Amino acid sequence: MNPLQVALTIMVLNILTFGNGPALVPLLEERFVTMEGILTVDQLLYAFAIARVMPGPANAYVASVGFFLNGLLGAALAMVAIQLPAYLMLPLLRLHERFSDVAGVKRFTRGLTATSVGLIFASTVSIGRNAITSLTAAIVFVLALVMAYLLKWNPLLSLALAALAGLALHAAAPSL
Amino acid sequence: MKPIGLKDLFVIFLKAGLAFGGGLGILAVLEEEFVTKRQALTREEFLTDYALGRIVPSGTMSALAADFGARFGGFPGSVIALTAMVLPAFTLSVSLSAAYVYLAGTPVLALLPLTILPAALAFIVAAALRLGRDITIPSVEALLAAAAFIGSLVFRISPALLLVGGGIVSMVILAFTERAENPA
Repeated sequence: MNPLQVALTIMVLNILTFGNGPALVPLLEERFVTMEGILTVDQLLYAFAIARVMPGPANAYVASVGFFLNGLLGAALAMVAIQLPAYLMLPLLRLHERFSDVAGVKRFTRGLTATSVGLIFASTVSIGRNAITSLTAAIVFVLALVMAYLLKWNPLLSLALAALAGLALHAAAPSL
Repeated sequence: MKPIGLKDLFVIFLKAGLAFGGGLGILAVLEEEFVTKRQALTREEFLTDYALGRIVPSGTMSALAADFGARFGGFPGSVIALTAMVLPAFTLSVSLSAAYVYLAGTPVLALLPLTILPAALAFIVAAALRLGRDITIPSVEALLAAAAFIGSLVFRISPALLLVGGGIVSMVILAFTERAENPA
């Protein structure tokens, strides 16, 4: 795929998930990893890992995906692709002055969010089959989940501690 | 109230782009700058635009950047606001991805599947759990989430199709149930 096709694909997928970073993962996985085979699961996870510890908008990690696929140009185009639909805000503001009732839109969005949740879980199962291939990886996964979700620790701290635990386990028992 | 120029827009949105915590971190900076500090927007204006921004399919903060940028600086203002907001994340993403490509084939990269990658997967699960926290069981939403999970994993239905279908099904069912709950 050329950089423009990639950017256009990212734009459509980002619109479908309303610019939600995690919700975009399953769509990127199915499109670029499974269908096109031009991105590896490791690259996608790496891009998402960066996103979790990075400041700024949650979907900005598509710049990494663009970079892996087409270098700096790919990164820049991917970034433009996810920002461009923001301009729909301007006609929407004008529309809102006339129609303030958006019940239908709200109901649609609720269904979209719920579907996203199911999709993200499905995607983690399929990614996990490829990414969790050792006991060490499984332990790191559980540790990070406990720190990030249950203990609500800062993502950077969770990532650093989980990665360190992985390193230590690997050094102590390389065969795990 | 002092007028907000293009330079101010750049500084404000660069600051927002440096905020941690995704959308809410950015929102906090924008509220502080536009409402509290400069009083360029009332709280009500800010909240209405935020609600509308949630409908825009680009990410709520990008919608607000286009909105406030255009409001205070016309079209150039919106471009400056959007660019400044994504600049820190863009620079970091590209440099860290370049490091990944540069390290390919070295022992350092072989360690990633044992360290950062499983942790990243855990972050995705945590995000899904947080997004799903408001979903009660049983409800239309829980049903849609389960259907999407099975449809994607077992039947390999395209995520895009599931999303649009989920939105439409929810729009129809909720329209009926809400009408039954609050008869006009």
